[in-house]
Amino acid sequence: MFKRYICIILALAVLISGCSTSAKPAEQQDLLTSDWETIVSTAEGTTVNFYMWGGDERINKWVDTYVSSNMKEKYNISVNRVPMDAAEFINKLLGERQVNRENGSIDLLWINGENFKTAREADMLWGPFAEKLPNFNKYVEKEAPDVAFDFGYPVNGYEVPYGKAQFVFTYDSAKVANPPKSAEELLQWVKDNPGKFTYPQAPDFTGSVFIRQVMYEVAAGYESFPEEIDEQRLEGQLEPLWEYLNELKPYLWRKGETYPPDLAVLDQLYADGEILMTMCYHPTRTAGLVEQGLFPKTSQTMVWEKGTIGNTHFLAIPFNASNKAGAMVVADFLESPEAQISKYDPLKWGDLLGIDINKMEKEYQDQVADIPLGEASLPASVLAAHRVPEIPAGYIPWIEEAWYKEVARGVGN
Amino acid sequence: MRLNKIFSLTIFYLLITPFIVLILWSFTQTWPAGELLPSEFGFRGWRYILEPHSKVWHSLLVSLSLSGAVTLISLIISIPAGKAIAHYDFVGKSLVETLILAPIIVPPIAVGMGIHLSFIKYGLADSFLGVLLIHLTVTLPYSVRIFISVFKAAGTKWDEQGRTLKANWWARFRYITWYLIKPGLVTGSALVFNVSFSQYFLTFLIGGGKVITLPLILFPFINSGDRVIASSLSLIFILSSLFFMIIAEKCIEDNQRQSEFYYL
Repeated sequence: MFKRYICIILALAVLISGCSTSAKPAEQQDLLTSDWETIVSTAEGTTVNFYMWGGDERINKWVDTYVSSNMKEKYNISVNRVPMDAAEFINKLLGERQVNRENGSIDLLWINGENFKTAREADMLWGPFAEKLPNFNKYVEKEAPDVAFDFGYPVNGYEVPYGKAQFVFTYDSAKVANPPKSAEELLQWVKDNPGKFTYPQAPDFTGSVFIRQVMYEVAAGYESFPEEIDEQRLEGQLEPLWEYLNELKPYLWRKGETYPPDLAVLDQLYADGEILMTMCYHPTRTAGLVEQGLFPKTSQTMVWEKGTIGNTHFLAIPFNASNKAGAMVVADFLESPEAQISKYDPLKWGDLLGIDINKMEKEYQDQVADIPLGEASLPASVLAAHRVPEIPAGYIPWIEEAWYKEVARGVGN
Repeated sequence: MRLNKIFSLTIFYLLITPFIVLILWSFTQTWPAGELLPSEFGFRGWRYILEPHSKVWHSLLVSLSLSGAVTLISLIISIPAGKAIAHYDFVGKSLVETLILAPIIVPPIAVGMGIHLSFIKYGLADSFLGVLLIHLTVTLPYSVRIFISVFKAAGTKWDEQGRTLKANWWARFRYITWYLIKPGLVTGSALVFNVSFSQYFLTFLIGGGKVITLPLILFPFINSGDRVIASSLSLIFILSSLFFMIIAEKCIEDNQRQSEFYYL
């Protein structure tokens, strides 16, 4: 009797779960060869699950309102934003790749850098689809190094540029008259103002960029990092970097005995006035935070004279996306000048343009010029003139680990 | 007596102060360091929660129904399991007891990653049912433990008394066991509900973004340091689990309780 119940329950369970993942037609195979009209008509009336980092209210809102309503209106596609960190959806996809699961739940990804490299190496992405998108062909400078390579890894059409970011320092102009504009000046400034500066500890994303930013100036620029890692050479190469950071250490916040665990804490220290500078890999974020009243109104951003690190973030489609056509249509819309300009507005998001401004029509260029960036932000031209590329992603964990050994040492977590 | 009063007041304030801070933060616009109170108040956090696109209400609904179902199933499984382990001897009993506890001894990441692969194979990943099952693996150890203790404390005497009066199993359960295990039901459901309600990692892994519960919306804001929205969401979180506990207590608790001691 009891056994029979168990059997019924199990059968029901299989039925219910079977429904939720029921197979879809295999017509998606030939999407790469079909024309754009076919893709658009296949996508009509579908839902696209867009997996992206969900920790910024404004970005969430932009996707949920602007992108959603436009997709609904233009193509009758529903966009379902799912908040998930890149590292986590990569893990999820790794698991699905292991058992070769078809009909995955993710249609579109917001991705770049190491995660893209991991995804490509494990063959977790679908493509190359970039050249299928009309807006990609029209507005993207395909040969540009920051579009053709993602942290030094060849893109090969497996992802399309979504936006760009650049590392900037934020300082309180009411308290800092002459902000340091190079690694050398920074060292002097920190020595003059002990306890008023610090950086997040690696492997925090921002902390890790700061270390590389300093590295470009005191040790080796991006040119001296070939795709193949030569550890022997690298150790010697990075020697001056560790010397610099160790010289800086005793003058940091809390004498460098501890570092903020992440950018959020660093920003809080800055907002609370404990330190006078913070940093960010997102040049208009400061203006947004000032607008929200989280940062002092006298906050300003700056770049270093020899340039700061910039990168591009991308959109990709997983190998087992259930709705590849829909994902392509959404990606194409996100490549359009309208979407890119809307995204560039700091009140909405403030992300740098992923497409090439020179390829846009005149009216769009004027729209870009008319967007008020906020007191705290630097104009796009200044940023572009001071942008240097990232090094290959493979070096990053290596440098982060070395930082722990060489600089952090007894630092408690 | 006086000392007792001071003690309970201290405890009360220790519990209530963080709560007040959360409420203050949720209505803050700017709160510079060193200031006792926020310098500017605003509704940014609450506005975000009330906006339909933020999906907070939907996720709350998912969370409540998921944790509610997990609680119910946990109790249904744990009551007979607790009774069996407490009152009967059988071969491999200690092995069963250890196995039941295993999911909370082994880290959930290890359990979760392995189960995830099997769930993908069986089509349970990315589904409500899958998340429900994975929550059961972490809640069952607690609820079974509770009912083992409850049944041990209750003993078998009352049940035997019923037997001698020829009461059938249902009558014995309804009129004897039910009253004996009531305190266990209240604590058990409160604990199970909260363990399930606050699950982040396992929901994330097995739900794969298809099952969005409240913690999944809350965590990104804590991570990115948006204290205002995080505080507002945390308040919703705390209030809903408090609400559930009160309901559970009211539903199960005896209104005309005769004695402070359950087993007398």
